[in-house]
Amino acid sequence: MTAQRCVVVGYDGSADAQSAVAWAARTAAALGARLRVVHAVGLLEHAGMAGHAPVDGGVALKIAAEAGLDPGAVEWHVVDGDPCTAMLRMAEPPERAALLVVGSRGSGGHAGTLLGSTSLELAEHSPVPVTIVPTSYRGG
Amino acid sequence: MTTLVVAGPTGIAEHDGGRYHPEQPSRLFAVMDGVRALGLEDEVVYPAISEASVDQLSRVHAPAYLAELEAFCSRGGGDIDPDTYARPDSWTAARRAAGAGLAALAALEERNEGIAFVPVRPPGHHATADRAMGFCLVNNVAVAAASRTALGERVLIVDWDVHHGNGTQAIFWDDPDVLYVSTHQHPLFPGTGRPDEVGGPGAPGLTVNLPLPAGATGDVVRAAIDEVARPTIEEFAPDWVLVSCGFDAHQADPLGELELSSGDFAELARVVSEFAPRPGRLALFLEGGYNPASLESSVEATLGALLGRPAHPPAPTQGGPGLSQLRAHRTDRLRAVDRVHMEVGP
Repeated sequence: MTAQRCVVVGYDGSADAQSAVAWAARTAAALGARLRVVHAVGLLEHAGMAGHAPVDGGVALKIAAEAGLDPGAVEWHVVDGDPCTAMLRMAEPPERAALLVVGSRGSGGHAGTLLGSTSLELAEHSPVPVTIVPTSYRGG
Repeated sequence: MTTLVVAGPTGIAEHDGGRYHPEQPSRLFAVMDGVRALGLEDEVVYPAISEASVDQLSRVHAPAYLAELEAFCSRGGGDIDPDTYARPDSWTAARRAAGAGLAALAALEERNEGIAFVPVRPPGHHATADRAMGFCLVNNVAVAAASRTALGERVLIVDWDVHHGNGTQAIFWDDPDVLYVSTHQHPLFPGTGRPDEVGGPGAPGLTVNLPLPAGATGDVVRAAIDEVARPTIEEFAPDWVLVSCGFDAHQADPLGELELSSGDFAELARVVSEFAPRPGRLALFLEGGYNPASLESSVEATLGALLGRPAHPPAPTQGGPGLSQLRAHRTDRLRAVDRVHMEVGP
């Protein structure tokens, strides 16, 4: 028996991350894979100093369900770390993600530069395929 | 009498994330109040500080990353990740911070005695060879350590910041001339620092991670270094001892949940100073610490203990969790070291 494949999507509550969750959920459903939605908690968020409301995993789970993925195939996962490292860790054992998915910009970062771009850094360092969902993606 | 070399403060005006960011310039005012509280006045040596050169930084950072950071700042900077920012002058601040560490070691070497303190911003221990993160742009303690290994010397880095120094660990992962020892709260940002992270094939066992649960007190942190790490440190026999000296393990700090008092840092400093092979080989690099009052009292207590000055910090703490975990982790660590040795082969 082979383990069920796992798609991992990064989520920080931004509109881009919501688009990424929707795309990842459709892809997981099509592949018969599990979906893990990962939220990385940084220094400021841990201390309640991030300047925004706590990221609501329920929103991501709802988006995944609306995209047609069985709620039993989705899990919400919170880890300590920066977003890029947290996602890269998901490609390693025991998680062994088959695919990493992120929004193109997230709540920080700068288009066109490696510094501050989780998506570009992930694409450079990941040992497994990475999908970067563009800002303009709204389903379909 | 032991001389205190203070290479800093640097980074007050150039690097400011705004009043709501905890890693703010006023931290250095609190730190320097702690230095002044020692009453040393004119006896403190303040060496001249130059910006570290790109060649000096490139010993531990990828040249492409340094070029990207410089360009990012020159374009006006911005948020690098949810925690980390750069401003137009942050490139200068980061190079001065790294340069301060180099100046500190040079001053110690010239005097052949004393201890050095490097109060700088931005901090450094989360910065990897090619990534800024966790408030850090350039890894100051790593730049200093690499300046000595380039001369064939061996460097011990003790990191007692509440957060694991993932950048320092990664930079020296496979370097047989650097022993990295870290006590840190776990789980906590950055998520690294498990006991089975022990170093690469070129340096098996030369990364010593001592993760501690929230609530751990000073006696547990001291035991981690004095009992668990001591044999490895003594076998390594360092030429230099550098401390990633974060004060955010203090019980009043807003970013962590360890329970140390200022007096605990004094005790830790005494333990770590025993690892220096001779006078003039111990330098402390400021990392975290975000409560002004505890920063001031911890700096005074730490430096006072090393200088033999009368300071009267709050009593060391004891009784928190973590001792049994430390002992269990010793087995995990030994197994991991064996695994690396087996991968390397005879």
